[in-house]
Amino acid sequence: MAHIQLRGIQKKWDTIWGVRDATIDIADEELLVLLGPSGCGKTTTLRMIAGLEEPTEGEITVDGQIINDVDARDRDVAMVFQGYALYPNMSIYENIRFPLRMRNIPRGTHDQRVREAADMVELGQFLDRKPAALSGGQCQRAALARAVVRQPRVFLMDEPLSNLDARLRQAMRVQIKRLRRHLKITTVYVTHDQIEAMTLADRIVVMDGGTIQQIGTPDEIYRDPANAFVASFIGAPPMNLINGEISHGRFHADNVEVQNVDIDTEGPVTLGVRPEDCSVVKSGASAHNLTGEVFGVEPTGDITFLTLKAGCGTMEIKASRDYRAELGAQETIAFDTDHLYFFDAQSGQRIRQS
Amino acid sequence: MTVRRTNGDNLFIRYLILGSWALFCLVPVLWFLSIGFRPRTEIITARPIYLPTLSLDAWHMIWSDWPMAKYLRNSVAAIFGSVAIDLALAIPAAYSLARYDYKGKEDIGFYIPSTRMMAPAIVAIPIFFLFRNMGLLDTIWALMLIYAAINLSIVTWIIRSYMTDIPKEIEDAARIDGAGDLRILWEITIPAVRPGIITAAVIAMVFAINEFLFTLLIASTPDAYTLSVALANFTGGSDGLIYNAIALVAFLAFVPVFLVVAAIQRHLSRGLTMGAIKG
Ligand SMILES: Nc1ncnc2c1ncn2[C@@H]1O[C@H](COP(=O)(O)OP(=O)(O)OP(=O)(O)O)[C@@H](O)[C@H]1O
Ligand SMILES: [Mg+2]
Repeated sequence: MAHIQLRGIQKKWDTIWGVRDATIDIADEELLVLLGPSGCGKTTTLRMIAGLEEPTEGEITVDGQIINDVDARDRDVAMVFQGYALYPNMSIYENIRFPLRMRNIPRGTHDQRVREAADMVELGQFLDRKPAALSGGQCQRAALARAVVRQPRVFLMDEPLSNLDARLRQAMRVQIKRLRRHLKITTVYVTHDQIEAMTLADRIVVMDGGTIQQIGTPDEIYRDPANAFVASFIGAPPMNLINGEISHGRFHADNVEVQNVDIDTEGPVTLGVRPEDCSVVKSGASAHNLTGEVFGVEPTGDITFLTLKAGCGTMEIKASRDYRAELGAQETIAFDTDHLYFFDAQSGQRIRQS
Repeated sequence: MTVRRTNGDNLFIRYLILGSWALFCLVPVLWFLSIGFRPRTEIITARPIYLPTLSLDAWHMIWSDWPMAKYLRNSVAAIFGSVAIDLALAIPAAYSLARYDYKGKEDIGFYIPSTRMMAPAIVAIPIFFLFRNMGLLDTIWALMLIYAAINLSIVTWIIRSYMTDIPKEIEDAARIDGAGDLRILWEITIPAVRPGIITAAVIAMVFAINEFLFTLLIASTPDAYTLSVALANFTGGSDGLIYNAIALVAFLAFVPVFLVVAAIQRHLSRGLTMGAIKG
């Protein structure tokens, strides 16, 4: 059982802000993902939950009890560090076993637990080695094994898969999901990989510059972004943002036009369109929204990424797998007008339908 | 990019240079050995004798006429004792300097090496009275303490620099895994800086073996003589200068250090370059 609340948490070093005013309610057994660009305060938030960093302001509670003054070793969390933090003088086996020894878990069970954890991360044959004799990805898996060898109240994972190849990453994601379903332990998971965030999270916290931008389920974050930052951060490639103007219900920018927009605003706004909501149409088609010059065509097999240059900037478009075009050719694009987003041109805040 | 190959000529030149240097360094040692094992009559001569007669006179003499075993024991006890004291004090001090933030930390950090900056002669007299008042004159305990005091700063400094280099995250991880402060120091930090500790200990040992001034001050009878002071005492006496015995004792003082350094040399390179800065 661990229901964690951060209430108005701030962290500041002299003049440097790590985290500004974070309020997050993490339900028991939830997997919460902290997502955001480098330096946005993800690690800092995690370290405050772990007790390694003291919040400058605010309270952290677990199951209603304030734990600000509880020492890290008494918080009963397990953590995967971004830099692995393996013990250099110990073998991988001893590294994974260390938490069991420190928590006075009966010795008889150690060997089996260590081997289970190592097998889970496919590290069984490396147990005798020292960390220095492992690759980065192997070290990372050892760090993951060390965290999951024990059943703590809370798992804290700081980019635990960042250094793995695609196959292992996929495999570890599945493992983490299974483990969680099985152990039902509250988990805070840091990543800047949105696929990881989308596939693992119960809810995602999107952060930027130490500030929480939005908290929501993966679906909410994708379908209903709170502001232009979230919109442009989620999705691969992310949402296209076009600065323009609305007058008389019509959005207009260089080479871009959208009729009958369903918001009341007049004046400058930012229009957001996801690459998957754009389609290539024949030139001269009656309902089109944008024309531009082909800047790049990247076939990936199941889909082709098309980059267009238009007066309003560069647009990313997901075209069909058979799509091909000459560089420099003119293309005409239609938007799926049911999935358009408008943001305040200044603040970036979402302008919702009236 | 081309890969540089070490061809035969190149290798030969390398060996030649390193070999000459090794010979240059070893000549005094060989010279000592050669003097130590020749008869007295062949030491001071008008013309050098390159192939002297082998004689064990001096060897027998130093073991029978002098309490060599005792000197050796004193040296070893004082040196190892002092290194033990140094490590016991320096490891916690270095840890504190490397890990905790507190007011005046930088000043303390500077103060420690600054104790090595004055000429030892300045404190010789006060130290003599200090030990006299404590009733420790002419004991190996006093030697242990004085060697420890002389070396404490360099030992602390070396260990501190190694500790600063190990990432703090490792200790954070240990804390989260449930280890307390002492556990972390003992199981994580100390093993991680073991090369630094070994380096510091060896350097302290070498300084202690070569220490002369304070030993002479404190040791007035063979009870507390170490090899280095015993050596000096061979120069007097009715027999005149007994060079071959002196050479042998000097060699004996050299052997243990040589063995220790040879055994752990792969840990040494970094610490020694730091020692070189200190001078
Ligand atoms: N000990 C510290 N002293 C001063 N500033 C710090 C400290 N630790 C972190 N910061 C600053 O706080 C901000 C947030 O850092 P944090 O490590 O939480 O970022 P992050 O989101 O984990 O980034 P990344 O994805 O690169 O790991 C950064 O601007 C960083 O420079
Ligand atoms: Mg980080």
